[in-house]
Amino acid sequence: MRRVIRPVPAFSLLAIVFSLLLLTHGKPAWADTPAQGAQDLVRSLSDEATALLNKTGESSEKRVESFRGLLRQYFASSAIGRWVLGRYWRQASDAERKEYLSLFEDYIVYGYVKRFSDYSGEQLKILRATENDQRSVTVFSEFIRPGGDKPIRVDWRVGHKGDTYRITDVMVEGTSLSQTLRSDFASTIHQGGGNVESLLIVLREKVAELKIDLGISA
Amino acid sequence: MERMTFVVDGAMATFRGAPTRFLAALLVVFSISGCASAPDPSDTEAYAEYQEINDPLEPMNRAIFQVNRGLDTLILKPFAIMYSVFLPPAFQTGIHNFLNNLQTPVILANDLLQTNMNNAGVTFTRFLINTTLGVGGLGDPATELGWQRHEDDFGKTLAVWGVGEGPYLMLPVIGPSNPRDATGRVVDSLILDPIGLLGTLGNDALFPYSMTRTVLTAVDTRSRFLDEFDEVEKTSLDFYAAVRSLYRQNRRNDVDKFIYQRWKPASEREEQPAEPATTDFPDMSDMPELDEPLPE
Repeated sequence: MRRVIRPVPAFSLLAIVFSLLLLTHGKPAWADTPAQGAQDLVRSLSDEATALLNKTGESSEKRVESFRGLLRQYFASSAIGRWVLGRYWRQASDAERKEYLSLFEDYIVYGYVKRFSDYSGEQLKILRATENDQRSVTVFSEFIRPGGDKPIRVDWRVGHKGDTYRITDVMVEGTSLSQTLRSDFASTIHQGGGNVESLLIVLREKVAELKIDLGISA
Repeated sequence: MERMTFVVDGAMATFRGAPTRFLAALLVVFSISGCASAPDPSDTEAYAEYQEINDPLEPMNRAIFQVNRGLDTLILKPFAIMYSVFLPPAFQTGIHNFLNNLQTPVILANDLLQTNMNNAGVTFTRFLINTTLGVGGLGDPATELGWQRHEDDFGKTLAVWGVGEGPYLMLPVIGPSNPRDATGRVVDSLILDPIGLLGTLGNDALFPYSMTRTVLTAVDTRSRFLDEFDEVEKTSLDFYAAVRSLYRQNRRNDVDKFIYQRWKPASEREEQPAEPATTDFPDMSDMPELDEPLPE
């Protein structure tokens, strides 16, 4: 067989270099409006999550860590954690804040990985996005269920600053995850006498409990 | 998702002479249990939080919640598990449709009270189609023919008339509520439901029927939330507070959505109207950099 080697024309070389530049820059070139950028973020999360869920035979630890990776990449965990703590954030000492944020991430990871894993077989259909203000967009979507059941409505609140897009809240059928956590945490602090340490005690226990449930050794 | 409660629909209708006794008992509980004391209004943040939680009867509500959980664990949940495990899914769907169809008079009455002829027409047509083609309501061909179901109750009617939800209220057996929707429930089950009305007027002939219906509704509703409820219980730090927040958000969303698009024809109603749902989103505008890493 004869191989034909054709010279690469200059303009296609340029195109290759240009697209490589774009790739390494890591910025979605098509995100020209915040609404588009936010939709791309949710779609990309959905694609990665689907790929992750389709991997079979993974250990519980492995799955948890992949889930943690997605959380870090797509969610404004730190901002959510602070908002959830609300007015108690200012009362907290530096050491308490540090421990709180780290426990908060563990709590989300271990608490939601099961719910996340249960969502296999469903498809996320992104419907549209609206810009709420200068800083945030709501992406409307629904989970299409395989059995033909009524789709589950999911709204994503996406914050953005420059080229950075991060999810700040997920609303399932109109109930906000961040809001629910905030009420739950505030009430826990109340029950514990009004200090942040009382919340940390409960959070430590809860995280340990959730880990045992998942079969992960501490 | 329907209401995130293991509500016993029409429970009040079934216990003869119960409403007066129930109210009397409620009054007694109100008077003996202390109210959670309001913080000093000069502490603005604490006061804002207190108003947002809006649960002045929290100690009593928590006590009732504990009793309800006990009843759920001992009675309702085991039946709901058996129901969802042993009954074939097609049967479960049939029963669910059948119970939905029996709600027609209550929904229709509320549509009419809101003078919403459009909704009333849909409810009535659905009833005709599902009772005939759907074999007594076991099937739901109306939905496939483009007549989408909407839920309606006297709590929503009151909301349409401008009544606010008021403080949180945990009702014995029935579950999370508020004064507006608790009133709505009493009116629905004792006056607007024909069988309930018959009982209210002193005719007990259909008592076994309404009892069966109440029990079935409770089991059907509970069986739909088995996993979700377990997950919330497992992951929440304060289960009571998590249920309170979830119930309230869910009900608000239901009512807002209903009011927002009640004049739209069923075919134009969206699962996701852009308007009402955005109100409760947290405002993180004063937050630090979005991609600030968490501490290791």
